[in-house]
Amino acid sequence: MISQFFILSSKGDPLIYKDFRGDSGGRDVAELFYRKLTGLPGDESPVVMHHDDRHFIHIRHSGLYLVATTSENISPFSLLELLSRLATLLGDYCGSLSEGTISRNVALVYELLDEVLDYGYVQTTSMEMLRNFIQTEAVVSKPFSLFDLSSVGLFGAETQQSKVAPSSAASRPVLTSRSDQSQKNEVFLDVVERLSVLIASNGSLLKVDVQGEIRLKSFLPSGSEMRIGLTEEFCVGKSELRGYGPGIRVDEVSFHSSVLLEEFESHRILRLQPPQGELTVMRYQLSDDLPSPLPFRLFPSVQWDRGSGRLQVYLKLRCDLPPKSQALNVRLHLPLPRGVVSLSQELSGPEQTAELGEGALRWDLPRVQGGSQLSGLFQMDVPGLPGPPGQAPSTSAPLGLGPASLSFELPRHTCSGLQVRFLRLAFRPCGNANPHKWVRHLSHSDAYVIRV
Amino acid sequence: MTDSKYFTTTKKGEIFELKAELNSDKKEKKKEAVKKVIASMTVGKDVSALFPDVVNCMQTDNLELKKLVYLYLMNYAKSQPDMAIMAVNTFVKDCEDPNPLIRALAVRTMGCIRVDKITEYLCEPLRKCLKDEDPYVRKTAAVCVAKLHDINAQLVEDQGFLDTLKDLISDSNPMVVANAVAALSEIAESHPSSNLLDLNPQSINKLLTALNECTEWGQIFILDCLANYTPKDDREAQSICERVTPRLSHANSAVVLSAVKVLMKFMEMLSKDLDYYGTLLKKLAPPLVTLLSAEPELQYVALRNINLIVQKRPEILKHEMKVFFVKYNDPIYVKLEKLDIMIRLASQANIAQVLAELKEYATEVDVDFVRKAVRAIGRCAIKVEQSAERCVSTLLDLIQTKVNYVVQEAIVVIKDIFRKYPNKYESVIATLCENLDSLDEPEARAAMIWIVGEYAERIDNADELLESFLEGFHDESTQVQLQLLTAIVKLFLKKPTETQELVQQVLSLATQDSDNPDLRDRGYIYWRLLSTDPVAAKEVVLAEKPLISEETDLIEPTLLDELICYIGTLASVYHKPPSAFVEGGRGVVHKSLPPRTASSESTESPETAPAGAPSSEQPDVIPTQGDLLGDLLNLDLGPPVSGPPLATSSVQMGAVDLLGGGLDSLMGDEPEGIGGPNFVAPPAAAVPANLGASMGSGLSDLFDLTSGVGTLSGSYVAPKAVWLPAMKAKGLEISGTFTRQVGSISMDLQLTNKALQVMTDFAIQFNRNSFGLAPAAPLQVHAPLSPNQTVEISLPLNTVGSVMKMEPLNNLQVAVKNNIDVFYFSTLYPLHILFVEDGKMDRQMFLATWKDIPNENEAQFQIRDCPLNAEAVSGRLQSSNIFTVAKRNVEGQDMLYQSLKLTNGIWVLAELRIQPGNPSFTDLELSLKCRAPEVSQHVYQAYETILKN
Repeated sequence: MISQFFILSSKGDPLIYKDFRGDSGGRDVAELFYRKLTGLPGDESPVVMHHDDRHFIHIRHSGLYLVATTSENISPFSLLELLSRLATLLGDYCGSLSEGTISRNVALVYELLDEVLDYGYVQTTSMEMLRNFIQTEAVVSKPFSLFDLSSVGLFGAETQQSKVAPSSAASRPVLTSRSDQSQKNEVFLDVVERLSVLIASNGSLLKVDVQGEIRLKSFLPSGSEMRIGLTEEFCVGKSELRGYGPGIRVDEVSFHSSVLLEEFESHRILRLQPPQGELTVMRYQLSDDLPSPLPFRLFPSVQWDRGSGRLQVYLKLRCDLPPKSQALNVRLHLPLPRGVVSLSQELSGPEQTAELGEGALRWDLPRVQGGSQLSGLFQMDVPGLPGPPGQAPSTSAPLGLGPASLSFELPRHTCSGLQVRFLRLAFRPCGNANPHKWVRHLSHSDAYVIRV
Repeated sequence: MTDSKYFTTTKKGEIFELKAELNSDKKEKKKEAVKKVIASMTVGKDVSALFPDVVNCMQTDNLELKKLVYLYLMNYAKSQPDMAIMAVNTFVKDCEDPNPLIRALAVRTMGCIRVDKITEYLCEPLRKCLKDEDPYVRKTAAVCVAKLHDINAQLVEDQGFLDTLKDLISDSNPMVVANAVAALSEIAESHPSSNLLDLNPQSINKLLTALNECTEWGQIFILDCLANYTPKDDREAQSICERVTPRLSHANSAVVLSAVKVLMKFMEMLSKDLDYYGTLLKKLAPPLVTLLSAEPELQYVALRNINLIVQKRPEILKHEMKVFFVKYNDPIYVKLEKLDIMIRLASQANIAQVLAELKEYATEVDVDFVRKAVRAIGRCAIKVEQSAERCVSTLLDLIQTKVNYVVQEAIVVIKDIFRKYPNKYESVIATLCENLDSLDEPEARAAMIWIVGEYAERIDNADELLESFLEGFHDESTQVQLQLLTAIVKLFLKKPTETQELVQQVLSLATQDSDNPDLRDRGYIYWRLLSTDPVAAKEVVLAEKPLISEETDLIEPTLLDELICYIGTLASVYHKPPSAFVEGGRGVVHKSLPPRTASSESTESPETAPAGAPSSEQPDVIPTQGDLLGDLLNLDLGPPVSGPPLATSSVQMGAVDLLGGGLDSLMGDEPEGIGGPNFVAPPAAAVPANLGASMGSGLSDLFDLTSGVGTLSGSYVAPKAVWLPAMKAKGLEISGTFTRQVGSISMDLQLTNKALQVMTDFAIQFNRNSFGLAPAAPLQVHAPLSPNQTVEISLPLNTVGSVMKMEPLNNLQVAVKNNIDVFYFSTLYPLHILFVEDGKMDRQMFLATWKDIPNENEAQFQIRDCPLNAEAVSGRLQSSNIFTVAKRNVEGQDMLYQSLKLTNGIWVLAELRIQPGNPSFTDLELSLKCRAPEVSQHVYQAYETILKN
C-alpha cells in the first residue's frame, strides 16, 4: 500500500506532500528521494529505488516528479499507472500540470488525493466518480481567450506546427466554475500514431511497428453522447480481409471501457458518452505489414581513409510520402566515431542545416515534400582513430559511426491509413453556439533507425 | 529598526492576520483563510498555533470548508492530542449527518488521526457506518477498520469489527467488496495464523463475480487475493483461469500483471497435454508484448517480470524475439534488460537474427551497452552450439576494430568459448596475441594469459609473451598474478627445456616477494609438486577440465518458483524474495507454486499451506541462533588441524600439513579448477544408506524408523536423514548419519548440489559439544560439485575436541562452508556411537559399582514390543558395544546385566529384564545406573534404536 505521495518541482522542492499511513519519515523522505535520484549511476534504473525499507516509485511529468513510496511488496505497475492517472487528473482539474498551477491549487490537490487514495488504497481515478465529491474549484491564473492564437500546439501530442486550435484551449481546467457555461462546448479528437522502424544496412526492413491511439478531450457536459466514424475498410486481425479494397488493417485493438461497440462491427462507428476530460478512446497496434510505403528511405555511402583520418559520408534521403503531403521537423541524427574534429558539408537545400554536437552529426530539414529527394555530403577529420597508416580508402565504416536515426512529424497522415470519417455529437447546445469539434491526424517517429 | 526585527513582526503579523480571518463572520473569508493555512502547511511552515481557531470553523454546513478543516486536523492532531479531543464531538455528530459525503468524510478523517484517545470514540460511529445504507460510507468504513487495526489491533478484535468486515465481502457493491478484501488481506498479513481470508470455492466464486463489476483498482486487490488461493484440483484451476483470462486485455497494466500472476501460478497445476494449457500459453504472449510499447518506466518493470516468465516458461515468448530488439532511444536500463532477455530466448531457430542484432549493438557508442553486447555474443556461442562458429567470427571482426574495450570484452568471452568447445577454435589464437599490448583491464589480461598458458604448445613465442607480463608482476592484480603463475607452470610442463629459468623466476616472485597468501600458497604447492614428482604435477596441472555450464546466470529454480508467485510486485523487479527487503515486522508468508497434479483425481495434498503453515516440519536448524552464531562465526573454517589426521588419504600427509590452510583456498580460487582428484582420496564410504528414509521428516523420525536396515557387523547405523535442506543452504542439501566401526566414529554425509552453480571449497566445523566430537580430518570433496551431482563422504571423527554441555546432550551443531556461503545446522547423534569397545566390566567390579552408585541415580525405562528374545538382544547389543556381564533367569524372566563405557570414560550399568509378552514380542524393562544420570535418557534411546531396528 502507498505510504506517502509527493510532488516535487524539477529542483526538488516539495509542492505537495501527503502521508497516508502515519509514516515516521516525514518530509525528509522527499529530500532523500531527490538525493537518491540525482546521485544514481547511469546504468541503474531509477524507476524503482529503495532506501532501507522504503521503496520509491516515480514518474516525471511536465518537469515535475510525482513520487509514491511504500514499504510493502506491492505492484509497481499499479503505482506507475496510478501516478500517470494522477498526472492526467491533476491536469484536468487544474488546467495543466505545472509548478504554478499546483501551488495555486494546493487545497484542491489535497482534496483530490483524499478521494483517490484512502489509507494508501486506490479508490478511484475516474473523473466521473470524483466530480461527485470534489468541492474546491480550481484557481486559474489567466483568463482564457479563445482567440489567442499566438502560440500553437495541441493538447497531448507534443507538436509545434499545425495552427489548428489555440494552445491554451486545451490547457484549462475541465471543470471550471459552474456558472461559466459559455466556452465549454469543445471537443478535441486526435489520431496519433507512433512509428518505429528498423532498417538494416543492406536496406532490408527488419521491423516496422505502429502504435496508434485515438485520444479525446472533451469539454462537453458529461454524458453527452458522441459517435466517431472510422474508415469503413478498417479491420482487425490478420485473417480478416474485406474484398479487394485497400484494407486498413491493424493487429490489435483495445477500447476504453466507456466505448459502446454495437455499431463497430457493421459500420465501424464508436459510440461513447465520454466523461469530461481527457481519455484514450482506442489504442491499436500494427507490426511488420504496413499498407503504405515507409515515409523515408536513406541511402548512405561512407568513404573512410584510415591513413589520413578523413571520413566522408554521403547521405541521400528520399521521402516516399504522397506528393501532396509533407514531413515537418525532420532531423537526422548520426553518431560519429570519437574524436571527430571538423565538419564541412554540402547540402541540397538552403533551409537545411547540419552541425556537430555530442559526438554526432545533426542534419535538420524543417520541411520535406513528399516524393522529393534530398542529399548531403559531409566531410570530417577523425585524427584519433587507430589503424595502420597508408591504407587505401575503404568503404567499411569505422566503429562508432551510425546507426542513423530520423525523427519527424507527418501532419494529416496516418501510417496505418486509419482516418476518422466523422465526429457527431448528440449534444443539444442550450442556447449557445454549436460545439466546436477539432479532429486531427498525426504520425510521428518513435524510433526510426537506419543502420549504416 | 533592523531588518530582522521587521521580518519577525511580519511573521507574527501573518499568523495574527490569519487568526483574525479565521474568526471572521463571513464564510468566504474563513474558507480563504483555511486555504492559506493549508498552503503554509505544505511548504513546511508551522501553523499549529492556529489549531483552536481552525477547529472552531469545523462546525459549518459548508462541505468545502469542512473538508479543508479536516485536512488540517489530520496533519496536526498528532502533535496536539489534547486539542484534538475538542474536535471529537463534531466528528461523532458528523457521522450521523444526513449527507453521506459528510458521514464518510468524518469516519475517514477520524481513522487518520492517530491519537489513542480518539480511537475509543471512533468505535460506535464506525460500527454504524459499516452498516450504513450508502455504499460510499461503507467502503470508507471498511478501510477505516484497517486503519484502526494498525493503531489498536486488540480493540478491533474485541469490538468484532473483523466479522463485520468479513460480511462486507458479500456486499452488493463491488467497491465495498474490493475495499473489504484489501483491508482483510492487510490485516491477515499481520496475523498469519488467523484464518481471516477464508478462501474456499464459494468465496472464490463471489470474488470472481465481483471481479467483473468493480473498478480496475478493485480488480487488482481481488486478483492478488485470488493468487493466494490453492485450487483443490486441476479442474478448479482451469475454471478460475478461464474467468481470469479476459483481464489480460485490460488497459491497466497492473490488472494485466496481476492476472498473469494468477495464471502462471495456476498453470502449474494444469497438465501440459491439455488443450487448454496450449491455449493459455498463446493468450499470455500478446499482453506481455503490449506492455513493451508503454512508457520506459513501465517497460522496465515489465521487462524484469518477463525475464522471470521467460526463465520459467520460455515457450510463451519464443516467437516474439523481435519485440526485444533494442531501440536507439531506449534508456540504458531498458536496453540492458532487453539484451538479457534476448539471450534467454536465443535458440537455434532465431540465432542468426539475434547475432546480427548483437553485432550492431557492439558498434554503438554507449560503452556499457557495447560491453554487454559483446558478452552476449559469447553467451550465445555457449548456449547454442550451432552458432558458435559464427559467434567466433563475429568476435574476430569486432577485435579487428581495435577499439580497446571491445577487444578486451571479446577476449574474455573467447576464453569461455574455448572452455566450452575445446580444440575447435584455437586457430584464432594468433589474432588474439596481436592484441596483447592493448589489454589494460585485469579480467582481459587474465583471460589472455590463461589462453597463452593453456595453448602454450601452439604458440611459438609463448615464453616471450608470458615473460613480458612477468616484468610488472607486482603491479598486477591478484587475479592476473595467479593466472600468470599457473600459465607459466603449464608452459614449463609442456616445454620444460627452454623455460626453466622462467618458472623459477615466477615461483620465487610468488612465494618470496608476495604478501598475498593465496598466491604464496599456490606458488608453494606448484613448487613442491614440481620438485617431488613432475609426472604427478603434469597430471594435476594439465588435468582435463570440466566443461563450463551453459547458463550460469539463471535464477535458482527454488527462488524462481517463489518469485513467480510474486509476479507484478516489487519482488519481481528486484528479483529478490520479499523477505529480503520488506521490514521484518510484517509476517512475510513464504509462497510456493502449487504442485502439478497429474490427473483430476489426484489426491496429492498441496504443499502450499495456507498462511502461517508451520515451517517447523523442517528439521530444526540451529535452535538458538543467537549465541550459536556468535560461537561458530569465531571459528576458523579452514580445514581443522586439531586432531591427528587419519591415514586415509593416499598422498603424503606431510605436504598437506606443511601447506596448512592454503590447500582449500587454492582449490577454490583456481578458476579452471586444476581438478585435484589426486590430492586426497576420500575414505570409501561403505555405508548402507536407507534411501527410503522420508526426506524432510523431523529429527524425531530418525529414531522411529522401522524400515531401517541394520548392519551385520559394527554398531547400528541409522538411515540417512536430511540435516540441511537445500532451501536453507542456497541449494546445498546435506543428509547424513553417524557410524561406528572398529573403534572409529565417522559421519557419513551425502552432499547434493541442487543449485545451478558449481560448488567448491567445502569445509566443515563442529561447535563445541558434550562429548568433544570433532572432525579428525578435513572435509574432502575431491572435485567441484556440479549441479545435480551428489557425493558421498565419510568424515572421520574423534572425541578430542573441546567440550561444552549441550541441550539436549547429544546435540551437535555443525557449520559447513562452501564457495557460496557458510551454513549452520544442528543434529542429534545417537549415543551408541560413543560406546567404546573395552566397555566390558568384570562381574565383581560391576557388582561393586552398582552398589556404589546412589539409588537416586537409577533410571527406569520400558521398551515395548521388541521382536527379539534374550539371546538375540544380547547379541545385537554386543555389536554396538553394550556388553552383557551376567545373565540369570528369575521366575521365567531373563535378566541381563550389562555395562558400557562412553568415550569420555563414563560407565553406564544396566539391568535389563526381559518379559515375554506375546509369542513374537517381548517387553523389556531397563534400569540404568550411572554417575552422570543425565546420560541415562540417551542411553535408553540408543537401546531402543538398536533393538527395534
